[in-house]
Amino acid sequence: MKTTRQSTILEAGVVTVAGPLMVFSIYLLFAGHNQPGGGFSGGLVAGVSVVLIWIAGGTATLRRVLPVRSTVLMGSGLVVAAITGFAALLPGLEFLESGYIETSLPLFGEVKVVSALFFDIGVYLVVIGMALGLVKALGEEEAPAEVER
Amino acid sequence: MIPILVLHLAMALALALFHRRLGRWAFLLGAIGAAATLLWALSIAGGVIAGSPVTEAFSWVPSLGLEIGFRIDSYGLLFLLVVAGAGLPIFLYSHRYFPASRRATIFAATMLVFAGSMVGLVTADHLLALFVFWELTTISSYLLIGYKDEDASARSAALHAALVTGAGGLAMLGGMVLLAGEAGTYVISELIANPPAATAAVNAGWALVLLGAVTKSALFPFHAWLPGAMAAPTPASAFLHSATMVKAGIFLVGRVGVAAADSVDWWQPVVLALGGVTMVLGGWRALRQYDLKLLLAYGTVSQLGFIFLLMGSGIPELVFGGIALLLSHALFKATMFMVVGAIDHQAGTRDLRRLSGLRRSMPGVFRVAVAAGLSMAAIPLSFGFAAKEAAFVALVDENVWWVAAAAAASTLTVAYTARFLIGAFGSHDPGVEPALGSALSVRNTLLSAPSSLALVTVAFGLVPTALFPLVNGATEAVTGLSKAGKLVVWPGWVAALAWSLASLAMGSALAWRSDLMSRAGDRVAVVAKRLPDAEDVFRRSIPGLIRFADRSSSLLQNGSLPAYLAIILIVAVVGPTVAVLAEGPTLSVPESGSLLEWMLGILIIAFAVSLAFVRRRFAVVILLGGVGYGIAAVYAVFGGPDLTLTQLLVETLVITLFALVLRHLPATFDRPATARLPRLAVALAVGAFVFGAGLVVNAARQPSAVAATYLEQAVPEAAGSNVVNVILVDFRAFDTFGEITVLVAAVLGAAGLVVPVIRKARSRA
Repeated sequence: MKTTRQSTILEAGVVTVAGPLMVFSIYLLFAGHNQPGGGFSGGLVAGVSVVLIWIAGGTATLRRVLPVRSTVLMGSGLVVAAITGFAALLPGLEFLESGYIETSLPLFGEVKVVSALFFDIGVYLVVIGMALGLVKALGEEEAPAEVER
Repeated sequence: MIPILVLHLAMALALALFHRRLGRWAFLLGAIGAAATLLWALSIAGGVIAGSPVTEAFSWVPSLGLEIGFRIDSYGLLFLLVVAGAGLPIFLYSHRYFPASRRATIFAATMLVFAGSMVGLVTADHLLALFVFWELTTISSYLLIGYKDEDASARSAALHAALVTGAGGLAMLGGMVLLAGEAGTYVISELIANPPAATAAVNAGWALVLLGAVTKSALFPFHAWLPGAMAAPTPASAFLHSATMVKAGIFLVGRVGVAAADSVDWWQPVVLALGGVTMVLGGWRALRQYDLKLLLAYGTVSQLGFIFLLMGSGIPELVFGGIALLLSHALFKATMFMVVGAIDHQAGTRDLRRLSGLRRSMPGVFRVAVAAGLSMAAIPLSFGFAAKEAAFVALVDENVWWVAAAAAASTLTVAYTARFLIGAFGSHDPGVEPALGSALSVRNTLLSAPSSLALVTVAFGLVPTALFPLVNGATEAVTGLSKAGKLVVWPGWVAALAWSLASLAMGSALAWRSDLMSRAGDRVAVVAKRLPDAEDVFRRSIPGLIRFADRSSSLLQNGSLPAYLAIILIVAVVGPTVAVLAEGPTLSVPESGSLLEWMLGILIIAFAVSLAFVRRRFAVVILLGGVGYGIAAVYAVFGGPDLTLTQLLVETLVITLFALVLRHLPATFDRPATARLPRLAVALAVGAFVFGAGLVVNAARQPSAVAATYLEQAVPEAAGSNVVNVILVDFRAFDTFGEITVLVAAVLGAAGLVVPVIRKARSRA
């Protein structure tokens, strides 16, 4: 009988946990400027979630859940960070110097949007890309994914 | 100035990009570049010679005060005219010399890059800019010599030239940095105006700069690369290896000669000795060649030696003669090379023994060759004669031995000129089969460029005074002395004339009895074989160098992970330890911690100690993770939530990734077969070091100003209250940017290493 090697319980558990982990990672990303967190830890949390998904469902599931290439994630992260840096030149600031605007948004009320946040988003993307890339590279199966049990 | 440089670069780029479209026009574009330079140089010539240099500055990094300046005084102008004046006919000549092809287009583009670099080199007023242009000429020379890249000898000649001139260029850079450090400026005109006093650094600086010039201008003992460079197509030889690039070294010593001779007293004797040996040796070797191009190459070595001696001496009168000779040499030598190219092109050989009677089959080429040859041999009424007389007049006033050496070199020059002309164009004894006496008549286009240069030579031979303002201006620009010499058709009955005529007579005698000469030469050659030959020395030194590189890298990069780790760890331990012990360390034992801290410490130590006794890889990973989590807990206890969070997450990810890797490794470690005690020693040393470092660092702890500023500025400057994050994304964002770039590179590298291995294993399974 051929089955995937993963257990159903694990799969169900991961489905429950992975989503909230992703949400938590995004929270960390946005909260980071004032509270513990930031792009790096946010990205790491998302990376852990990536690893969990891989453990539960293997590379195939990972591809379905996150249909992006790790290189695209990392590359766009670098691009976002770089654009943030250069955007600072427009209002006459120096490369990567940050500025902020205060505005009120519906639902959120008064918020301060710091340009460094976009830089942090770049970091976040790079870190997720790293986790995804390493998991895909190291997790590649030596034998075909389906094995005789 | 800057537009001229940009023009060259843009045309070279256009050629490289659109070589299909532009192929047929490649060399004509080059000619346009040279013509533009020439016209521009002529347009500013009046003012520059009158004594007001043209300067242009390009602000590179204004915040650091880095400015790349260009300054064209009469000296630079003269070289600019040589570069453009030789470049224009040579580009036109190349247009007919090469059949249109992709490679010829690339060749043209490289020549353009070279011409642009040369223009930059002779006008830059900043040492580092000079260096950059200098190296650009080395690189383009490499590409041009190696044009026939299917030919192994051409490739090795190109490499030889690049290695010698490249190494010299690096030495020169070192010298420039030393000199600029002592003088406090990188601006050439300022450095020369106030040469630094002769400290050890200045001595070394001048020596290194001289080394750069000597290698570039192919002086003894580095001359061997220049004859090798004759593997290049003839237009490149005419342009780079006779008229311009090899003059870069001379340009440099001429520029700094007065300052250097002022600064260090060994400069003058060394320059004179190097130049003197080179000019005689080159002349002698030229006389022994059968290949016309090699003959010219050794002739160039000889002439370069002579000009180098004159211009590097820093004595105004000699410099005047040197500059005049340089002009005449550029004119006749470029012409001669194009003559050889025409012969080679039409007759299919440049071997003296196979050529015969070209006088009849190529009358036009013959006339041009004679016109240039008269100047080369310095026959009266030629420009070469006027220039050499200027040099002789100056030398006679200085030292009888110098003039004797110069006369010896001139004698050889007359002889090899005769060898060239008679060998190629004369009729030989009937025993020699005149292989290609029936060569086709040379197309006019291949003749027009050299004959125009030859006409210029003849004209200046008849009216040398026309060039006096230029030569005088250039001399004055570098020596400060006006009217240091004269350029005249006939010098009158002076001692210098006697030397000139004597060398002419002896040279003619040598040429007349060339059979005796070559027999005597054979005898010398037998003796000389026992002496090291510069080319052999080079050829033998390269494998030696490679062997040395092989051995040292197989020692250091032996592929053994334990060895790498040991080297890294030992350096990391020994360096700081020595530094701390030299200072006399203060140790500070921290106060005893709370119960929680003690427990955490014991837990971490327990994990670490058990690590050493576990043989299963998976257990090792888990225990390592335990250490990491323990440290995260320590961060938490000391109040660093960000660190704790990050440490926990990293630890988790790392354990998982380790686990993935472990699937491909044996379950247990092998017992290390060798060197268990050294391994233990290194491990204990690292442990002790980290412990000791903790105590030392604890003693040295003080609140830093940076930390205080960061804490104060986080909210007002960056609008964030999490200082750790503010540092990462704002205060030190540039560092973070670098780090994420490194992260990406590391991931790509790891994936690139791992994936092929796994795929291979899978395909085997």
